[in-house]
Amino acid sequence: MRGFFRWSSKWWPGTIPLAVFWAIAAWTSTAPLEADLAARANAALRDTVLDKVRMAVAGRDVTFAADAFSEEGRRSAVASVEAVPGVRRVDDQTRLVPEARPFVWSAERDVARVTLGGSSPLPAIKNRLLEAARAGLGGVEVVDRMNLSRGAPPRFDNAALLLLDQIGKLKDGKVTISDTRVGLSGMARDLGGREAIAAALRNLPEGFSVAANEVKAPPYVFQAYKDPVAVTLTLTGYVPDNNVHAAVAAAAGRKFLREKVVDNLKASVGAPTGFANAVVPALGALARLSTGTLVVSDREVKLSGDALYEAAAVQIRAGLGKDFPQGWQFKPEISVRPAAAPVDASVCQQLFADLLAKAKISFESGRADIDPDSVALLDRLVETAMRCPAVNIEIAGHTDADGEVAFNQGLSERRAQAVVDYLVKAGLQAGRFTPVGYGSTQPLAGNDTDEGKAQNRRIDFVVRKGE
Amino acid sequence: MTYLATFHWGWLLASLLLGLAMGWIAVVQHGQGVSKTTVRWLAGLAAALVAAALTHVIPGRFGYWLDLGLIMFAMYLAGCAGGSWLRDRVVSRHRA
Repeated sequence: MRGFFRWSSKWWPGTIPLAVFWAIAAWTSTAPLEADLAARANAALRDTVLDKVRMAVAGRDVTFAADAFSEEGRRSAVASVEAVPGVRRVDDQTRLVPEARPFVWSAERDVARVTLGGSSPLPAIKNRLLEAARAGLGGVEVVDRMNLSRGAPPRFDNAALLLLDQIGKLKDGKVTISDTRVGLSGMARDLGGREAIAAALRNLPEGFSVAANEVKAPPYVFQAYKDPVAVTLTLTGYVPDNNVHAAVAAAAGRKFLREKVVDNLKASVGAPTGFANAVVPALGALARLSTGTLVVSDREVKLSGDALYEAAAVQIRAGLGKDFPQGWQFKPEISVRPAAAPVDASVCQQLFADLLAKAKISFESGRADIDPDSVALLDRLVETAMRCPAVNIEIAGHTDADGEVAFNQGLSERRAQAVVDYLVKAGLQAGRFTPVGYGSTQPLAGNDTDEGKAQNRRIDFVVRKGE
Repeated sequence: MTYLATFHWGWLLASLLLGLAMGWIAVVQHGQGVSKTTVRWLAGLAAALVAAALTHVIPGRFGYWLDLGLIMFAMYLAGCAGGSWLRDRVVSRHRA
């Protein structure tokens, strides 16, 4: 044993190369060792749900920071890092994900993008929501502003997925989940979208309730544009159903004398009550304008354009709103077209004949009340009469041969008088017009067919020469 | 420890072989060894370093280097002891 001590006192020279070995070993092995430990520690955490994992290895000591979603999860994550072979010390900087109270999640849509914000319970659910948003809203940019938080109500993911479905039906707006209360606001993309969303909300998971559904339906719009150059009447927008569609199209055909009706109307639910009762008179007012646009948006009727003469503008401004059902608003923007150049008597007669060749002044059957559909024609006749202010005109009433001669005579006189009254009300001098009734004495066609009778029932404007 | 041994077996083997060689030489080497006082001091120092390594007081890379140094030194000492013992047996047999 003594020998052993004697030998050992001579072992020291070997420590010099040993120190060199040590230095080389330390120099070359530190970085690979740290990388190896980091890889093993991360591998040990692979099955643990964590957020914001940061792992720093210095020598064999690991600084481990992460957000865990439960206390057990946090402890087991630290334990699995500690259990990695080779790890000497773990500096535990883990914490729990903050708890959100109330737990608020939202999805907001504007024109170009959908922004998901607020809190999401777990990374997996967050990714599912993002994927659902991308899949459900093809082509729309999805922006993720969600934080991870604890405290989500049960079945949160189902409720959020259902609401993401509804976002697709909105043009713009926002859906929110605050704990178990659901709120929606914004504008539905289509007519009927609001109703579809309300129906879908009935399938919310158990425990969730709708706190506020402020989704607005888009305005129910009907538009008519009278184009004097193309001589067309273009109808666009919505009508409640096919019956109203037919009624509107028929009214347009009766009230517009020359215009070709371009019908681009679509049927849709959601019309305000009294739609047809407002739109048909409004079309009559549009017919009286030389050019104009009619926009019916929900219960607001906007009519803009040029009337043919001042009195017509006044009548339209004051009169149309009275015909509307309760709750409807009328916003006229009517100006008066500049007067056309004066013409002489023969041109005037020609213009009257042209107008009356295309359409006829019609009356209620057997009576002298002017049909409202003929007002547009009368306005054109008034405008023409204004162009030849010095000319006197005979307003000649004719009937067909049906009925008694005396009655027909009286009827033709009263109808001629009704037309003169209209002209005078429009601002023309009463002295220029002579109402004359001819009864059935001057037929244009045979009274044996319906077409012939229809031709014979008429009002003629006859310019009196030389007076 | 096992991890270090598997990760650094090459260096540990080198230390052991160095120890064996040094132990082998030490038996027949003439000249003065380290004095007893110095041995005590060195033993005290080694004990202090081992204690520091076991209690993990030295953090980070320095702690790792200390562990590495101590384990290499331990292998070296084991090599020396083995080397000296073997050489002694060889020398004794010659004498006999």
